[in-house]
Amino acid sequence: MAERGYSFSLTTFSPSGKLVQIEYALSAVAAGAPSVGIKASNGVVLATEKKQKSILYDETSVHKVEPITKHIGMVYSGMGPDYRVLLKKARKLAQQYFLVYQEPIPTAQLVQRISSVMQEYTQSGGVRPFGVSLLIAGWDDACPFLFQSDPSGAYFAWKATAMGKNYMSGKTFLEKRYNMDLEVDDAIHTAILTLKESFEGQMTEDNIEVGICTETGFRRLTTAEVKDYLAAIV
Amino acid sequence: MATLSVCQPPFGGFSFEYCKRNAVLAAEVAKVGCSIPAARKTGTTICGVVFKDGIVLGADTRATEGMIVADKNCSKIHYISPNIYCCGAGTAADTEMTTQIISSNLELHSLSTGRLPLVATANRMLKQMLFRYQGHIGAALVLGGVDCNGPHLYSIYPHGSTDKLPYVTMGSGSLAAMAVFEDRYEQDMEEEDAKRLVRDAIAAGIFNDLGSGSNIDLCVITKNKVDYLRPHDMANLKGIRTGNYKYKRGTTGVLLKTVTKLDLEVVEETVQTMDTS
Repeated sequence: MAERGYSFSLTTFSPSGKLVQIEYALSAVAAGAPSVGIKASNGVVLATEKKQKSILYDETSVHKVEPITKHIGMVYSGMGPDYRVLLKKARKLAQQYFLVYQEPIPTAQLVQRISSVMQEYTQSGGVRPFGVSLLIAGWDDACPFLFQSDPSGAYFAWKATAMGKNYMSGKTFLEKRYNMDLEVDDAIHTAILTLKESFEGQMTEDNIEVGICTETGFRRLTTAEVKDYLAAIV
Repeated sequence: MATLSVCQPPFGGFSFEYCKRNAVLAAEVAKVGCSIPAARKTGTTICGVVFKDGIVLGADTRATEGMIVADKNCSKIHYISPNIYCCGAGTAADTEMTTQIISSNLELHSLSTGRLPLVATANRMLKQMLFRYQGHIGAALVLGGVDCNGPHLYSIYPHGSTDKLPYVTMGSGSLAAMAVFEDRYEQDMEEEDAKRLVRDAIAAGIFNDLGSGSNIDLCVITKNKVDYLRPHDMANLKGIRTGNYKYKRGTTGVLLKTVTKLDLEVVEETVQTMDTS
């Protein structure tokens, strides 16, 4: 394939017009742990699988669902270290926006800025694209928002979506289950069920993480709360 | 054996001992071409007190531009983090921007650690920034908050030195406010007593210092809640005029009325069309 020769350089187009490195970055995302985002009528739910390779891991020390500001949070699928870098950048961008405009950053503005950062890394020398896709959930002015940001720098607004391993079956499941009148509690229930579709083994409160964004702001659910929701499913 | 000189202890009134010395110094300094440093008035009364369950911060609300009141109701108690607030005296822009920058940085730090920030951290960040600018940032701050180690109160000077104390005052009205504190401060006061004490201290500053005035704002910070009382006490409400000074039509009798028409001749007429396309 003529593609092969063009797959090592990020900054060279292939004959078919693709940047193969970005395709490979998307494959890295598709190989990552599944994550799900659902926009409800009164909030947004983010959920992800947090399977650790060994029981010796202290799972309380690292989190996948993280707040960016009081009213915006995000989760990822893909490479953890790349996520950390983007999380730090997102937090800093949010603070810079506040210092200039004296208002909390609107979700769409933050997503645009983060996506610009991700795009920069597809058009510079000596760097590689980020190996993560981000799901960003926010609440501005009585409206919930859910966005996805890809390694290419493209961003999409979703009503509900799935990323990572088995994302196609996750999306199909959501297409059937989603409706506009869902409340946050139902959305959490649906998100957990979506994760369960592709989950290997027993789902417990320690190997998934759930975050919700409502009028009162963004927060990660405690393991006790997750346990209650899991009990409701079984 | 050294002879003991008999010192006359000063009795009553202001001591004018150094006036002659200052005059001589001023002359000497002027010969070299410089001037004696002038004391910068900061036109504010801010103070803070530690009580049994937390901190009470207080401030007046007058912002001055030289001898003129620029803002009769400005807010001098700034948000740093959910559990930490900071009063600012000095150049208004400096206190506003400094507290905002440190608030932003503290939020980033707090998101990174996953914990509520410590007052000592805010103190460190503020003093290190002010020292870096060698006093050119004119911000004199009273920083107070409650963290996992309890309630803490700091005063921070423009050059970057800080004091950790149970009660502090800053600004041009600080002496009046400190007089009230020195008289009535006690350890482990109740919330209402502490609020009354701070209110009285700021009131002393408002009524005895020209650079302070208008209302009294309070901020009560405890472990579980923050009460931002703005205004807590409107001590200087504008008075209502008691009389009506408008005269009714016809009060002044009209004796004579003459009308002179102005004869104006149109000399030139030009029309300029606007491009409204």
